[in-house]
Parts: sequence; C-alpha cells; structure tokens
Amino acid sequence: MTRMKLFSLFAALALAGGVNAQVSPERLLNAKAEPGDWLLYHGNYNGQRYTTLNEINQQNVGNLELKWIWQVRSRGGSAEKFEATPLVFDGVMYTVSPPNDVIALDPKTGRVFWTYNYTPDQNARVCCGRVNRGLAVHGDTLFMGAIDGHLLAIDRISGQLKWDVSIGDPSLGYALTVAPLVIGDKVIVGPAGGEYGIRGFIAAYDVNNGAELWRFNTIPGPGEAGFESWEDPAQEAWKLGGGSIWTTGSYDPELNLTYWGVGNPGPDWNGDSRPGDNLYTDSVVALNADTGELAWHYQFTPHDEMDYDATQVPVLADMVWNGNQRKVLMFANRSGVFYVIDRTTGEFLLGKPFVAVNWMDGTFDEKGRPNRVLSPSPEGTLIMPNNQGATNWYSPSYSPETNLFYVPTWVDTYSVYTKRPGPVQYVPGQTYVGMYPSMAVPALAARLINQRIPEEGTGAIQAIDPNTGEIVWRHVMTDVTSSGVLSTATNLVFAGGREGIFYALNARTGDELWQQRLGGEVASGPMSFELEGKQYVAISAGGSLFVFGLRE
Amino acid sequence: MSRHHRRAAGFGLAAMLLLSMQGANAQEHSYTPADIDNGRGLYQANCLGCHGDQGNAVESVDLSSNRLRRASTDEELAALIRSGIPGTLMIPRPQFSDGELQGLVAFLRTMASQTGGAGSEREVALGDPSRGQQLFFGKADCGSCHGVGGGGSRLYVDLANIGGRRTPASLENAILYPEAELREGQRFMQVVDKSGAATVGLLMNQDTDSVQMMSLDERLVSFGKRDLEAWNFLPSQMQSSRDVLSAEEIADLVAYLVSLKAE
Repeated sequence: MTRMKLFSLFAALALAGGVNAQVSPERLLNAKAEPGDWLLYHGNYNGQRYTTLNEINQQNVGNLELKWIWQVRSRGGSAEKFEATPLVFDGVMYTVSPPNDVIALDPKTGRVFWTYNYTPDQNARVCCGRVNRGLAVHGDTLFMGAIDGHLLAIDRISGQLKWDVSIGDPSLGYALTVAPLVIGDKVIVGPAGGEYGIRGFIAAYDVNNGAELWRFNTIPGPGEAGFESWEDPAQEAWKLGGGSIWTTGSYDPELNLTYWGVGNPGPDWNGDSRPGDNLYTDSVVALNADTGELAWHYQFTPHDEMDYDATQVPVLADMVWNGNQRKVLMFANRSGVFYVIDRTTGEFLLGKPFVAVNWMDGTFDEKGRPNRVLSPSPEGTLIMPNNQGATNWYSPSYSPETNLFYVPTWVDTYSVYTKRPGPVQYVPGQTYVGMYPSMAVPALAARLINQRIPEEGTGAIQAIDPNTGEIVWRHVMTDVTSSGVLSTATNLVFAGGREGIFYALNARTGDELWQQRLGGEVASGPMSFELEGKQYVAISAGGSLFVFGLRE
Repeated sequence: MSRHHRRAAGFGLAAMLLLSMQGANAQEHSYTPADIDNGRGLYQANCLGCHGDQGNAVESVDLSSNRLRRASTDEELAALIRSGIPGTLMIPRPQFSDGELQGLVAFLRTMASQTGGAGSEREVALGDPSRGQQLFFGKADCGSCHGVGGGGSRLYVDLANIGGRRTPASLENAILYPEAELREGQRFMQVVDKSGAATVGLLMNQDTDSVQMMSLDERLVSFGKRDLEAWNFLPSQMQSSRDVLSAEEIADLVAYLVSLKAE
C-alpha cells in the first residue's frame, strides 16, 4: 500500500467515523449542521432541545423499540436521580452516572469504553441529591462539575484526568450539578448551594488549564451594580445572598451574549434579614461571553421568600413575535409564569401564568415587575405554585416547526409557607433557609406509591403559544414530572414523568402516539442522535439509560 | 386547603405544651424542651423537605413511629444522621455538632406527640378506657372494620399503635368527622368499566393510565383506564359516631384509643 493510499484510507475513516476529530468551538457554533451528533447539553446553543433528525415521524413512531439499556453501577449503589443528558459525537456517547462517574459508551450497543470514577469530598453539601446534569466538550476534553465544587477536565479518548480545579469550598455549600457550557476557549459554570448561604457567581475557566478568566457575581458586592438592592442597614445580607446556578445557560453568537437563570436568595423562606429586591437572585442575566460583563437582567421574583429559583433554561428563538421579527428569550419560570423577553435589550414583552398562581395577581407594571400579593406568614400562607414550582430545572423545548414552547409542568400545586419568628442563624456549612414549607407532593423524588387526589396537584407537558402565553394543549399525567422535553422537526414531542412512562406526543395536539414504561422516574432530558443513518432517542430514567430506535 | 393551614399552624407548638400533653416518652428520656425546640428548627430546615411535616413522607420510613430500621438507640440515631445512608438522598451531615444532634434526636423521639392532623393541639376529654373498649367492639361498631393488633379487615387501618401516632384531639376528630382525618393510604375509589360494572376498593396506587386497588373482597386488582368508563375517589368509608355516642361515651372511646400503644 502506498503512502498516498494509506492517507486516503485514513481520511476516509476520519470522515466516516470521525476518528479523533476534535470538537472545535466552530463545531459547537454550527451544531445545527450536524444533527446526528448531540454536542451540547441542550443540543444547541439556543437551548431549544430540538432535533432536525427526521427518520422517526408521526407515522412510524409506534414502531419504536428498545435497542439497549445501560444500568448504573455506582459504587455504593447510589439511588440518586439520573439527571444527565448524554452527549454523542464521533461515534461515542458520554454521560455521567450519579454522583460523578463519567462513562464513555458505544452508542450502538451500550458497551462501555471507559469509566472515570471520581470520589467527591465527603464534605460536599447538596440540598437535593448527589446529582449531575451532564458534560460539555472542547477539542478532546470533556468537562464535568462535581458536587464538591470541583471542575474536572477529562480526556475523551482515554478517560484520564487532565486537570481539576476547585471553584468553591464544599464545606460551605459550593457544589456543581450543572452541565458546563463551552464557548470558544472558555468553560462556564456556576455553583449550586443556595440553601447554604453561598455567594453565587457565574465564571468562565480556561479550557486548557482551568484558570479563571472572568467571574460575574450573581450577588453584587459593594461598588457593583445591583448592590443597592440589598438594603439591610448593616450591609451583611449579601455575603450570604445565595444566587446559585444549576441549570445550563444558552448563548447567542451574534450578540455574543450568554444567558443564565439565577437561583433563590438566602435564607430561602424568611427574607426579613435581606430587605430589598435582592438582585440578581431569581433573575435571568445576559452576560458578554468574552468578559462576563452584564448586558441586562430581568428579575422574575423580587425579594423572593418562596424559593422560586429562576434556574430554568433560557430558550432563544428568532421569530415573528406579534407581527415583528424579534430575537426573543422564552422562560417558563418556577413561579408559574411564562415570559417572553427581547434578548437584545432585556425588554419585558410578555408574562402570563401557565398554572394556577396566587402569589401575584397576573399583572405587571410597565417595566414588567410582577404585582406580588402573598408572602409567607407566621400563621402559614397557602401559596400556588408549591415550593418545587410550576416547573424547575427540567429542560423545556421550542419547535420552530410548530412555533410552540413545550414545558414540563407541575399543575396547580400549593405549599403552606410558615415564617418562623426571629432571624435565621447562619452556621457555616449548615442550611440557611428558614422553615421548609409543607406540600402534598413529595418534593425531590418520586415515590413508588401515589394515592393523592387531583386537587393536590398533577403533572403535564404543556404547549404554550409564545405570542400570547396561551396554553395550546396540555398532556396531563396523574403524577408530577421532572422530565425534560425533546421536540423534533417531524412534529413529535418526547417526555416522561415520575410514573416512569416515556411518551411520544403529537407536537401540535398533545395526543399520545407511543409510550414505554421504564419502571423508574424520568428525571432527565431526552436527546436524539444518528448512527449509520438511523435515528435514536435516548433517555435516562430510574437508574438506567435507555436508547430507542425504529424496529427493523 | 384550610386543613393544611391549620396543620401548619399546629406544627409550631410550644415545647411546653407538647410535653404536658402527651410527653410520657419525652419525660422518660428526659429530653429538654430546649433540645426539642432546637431540634424542631433543625428538622424544619434540613429534614422536612424530604421527610415531611408528619415525618412519614419518605417511602417506608415513619420518623414519628420511633421504630426505625437502622437506629434503635438515640446514639445510633445521632450517628445515622451524621453519617447519612449511602445510596439514598440521606447525605452525611458532618456539620452538626453533638448538641445539635441531641436536639434533633429529642425532636424525633417526641415527634409523634407533635404532629397530629387538624387541631391536634386541642385538649380533649378522656374518659374510661375499659368502657371505651366495650364501645369499640359494641355500640360504636369500630371493630367490624378496624383490627387492634389483627382481627380487622385489610382495607382499614389497624389501630394497635394508634395512641402512639395520633394526638387525643386527632383521634376525637376522626370519630366525629372521619372525612377531616382521612389520610393518604386510606382513600377509596370506585371504578366503572365499559359494561357498567363497578368495583369499589382501597386505592393502592395509580398513574396516568392505570389504577391499583384492594377491592372490598380484599383482592388486589389493577385496571387500565382505557378500559374504564369512570374512576372516582369516594368519601371516607367510616361512619361518624357523633349521632351514635354521647359525649361521655366519646371520651371513653378516645381514652381507649389513646391507650393503644405498641410496646
């Protein structure tokens, strides 16, 4: 064989299987051009969780069958929720099993190439489970945030650690559960820990060595814009102000702005020590991707005492919005209100409840500030939606095909919020919250048994018209759902719920076209990929990862 | 909904009142009101989210029962809170001091007497337990449904330890207003199939497409909603005794129920 022939063979291999092809920043920018791979947590920078793969359609979706299952074998037999969305590129699938084990799988068989087992510091504090939502990639490097506040870089071929930096003290509550976002040569994350009195931030790290390149404080300090919204005379509250990050942001390359939802203020359920609006908690912030500089913000719940973290996915779309071409940002907020915002300027365009809401009266002032009417009280206040919210970190989806926004919803739930008298004491490393509200629906994980009456709240996948905020259809489930949603160019919507049923719905009507019982809670976002010309849909549920394709 | 208001209000009871009401357990172990109060605050901030305000929100774990699979003694309970339970949402909590753990244990050990349902803090009249026992199996006809350490129907709660799990006020309320004290796990449903045949039973489980019940003849049955014409929750199956028993008899019956404590 001549050298030339060898070279051609190698090139052909590289084209076919993408052998060691690097995931360059340009590939991430053009993710739309290679729909067979899933290169980012949301599938794309716009946060739409939408695939243009079209082999699976409304006519044949009934023929979907299970291709393989991969069962988590975490050391210690972790029963944590499996929240990660896998990445697939160049013929390999990568995911994270809880708490922080990275797995490289053959997407055709589910056989494992390698695992990288990380043992988080025993001092890690997590409010709500040792969970992880997934990975990001740059070049040959995968990035994972760990629950002990470490950001790790792992070689995607060998599974070996490249570097590991700490972004915050785990014993003070700094934890990483978010799937990182890579933009250019930066990997962006922010810490969870809003229940432990952290001071939150969003920061960009050098993909090559983990060096911090910029930091945006989600809780501004003295001299920073927004500090005036922390009005306690002693100027102490901001130091424990919360503002955590645990859902991956989105990115508009044209504007070079990255959008992130920010978590609740601390202490969660008693705001007496922190008078003021408490920026940038419960807000969406638009940051310059090169510098971290704030371009604009919108606060959904000023001076929150209901734990309404705005840690939902900011979904970006260019659309004709009520007659005008707009670059919009759509945001179904935990507080039960669906928002449309102009993402160039931050202008509030629309806010409309998508479930029963009583903490505000459905109206806004001219700047979009909600008219708040209820707060926690010493005798207990019944507030809708409940503490877990009308939605949460579960990925929504937007289909340019239907122009509908699909949101996993907890329908018409309530909590009783009781404010215990006296200040909430801060003890480093302990929860800094106030009194946890009561609720009829188990907050954090599914139970095997559901004996609730519908008045205590149900679940649904809802389709919302972004022009009006009106609900176009609602696919109701008896239990609530922590599943994300995937929409397809063939007008399908994939989603599941706590009952462990995974559905394919008609994206225009919500009618069920296919279902599979998975026997464990669906608490992750579905994704789709292509291999050897065939389309697959993957979903993590219970303690397993399931991959479906058409019957041959 | 107002029921939840009241339950939430009842949750904030002063430790003094708790001890005086049904604090035999607390006194035996000499938990101090200060410890219990401290423990309540820690519980509300750290545990309530998963375990719920009644202590029974986690599957097959009832903190208020004082019978925990993994911890018998106070020392074991404290150690378990500190170390967590691997593979569950119960993470290690090395941050708690010995004093804080003592408070948490004190609160958990006295929890049953603090977490009744609606109006559980109300003082109620307690009569003669032996007369109450006669009423239970006689005039009030409780025993035809409820067992006491066996003897009843599988459809209804066995009351062997009811005195350890409900306050006197909650028990009196259940006798007078059964609907108000109906809890999860005690709800009945009626399903009607396409042919019009109805089945009534205790709801065991449900999801979007199916219902699992224990039928009145104590069979485990499952229905697909696609095969059903209707499925509806029913009101409490328990008859109120308010028109059957005198005030004195009700006090006797409550006294009997209060006396029903395991071990």
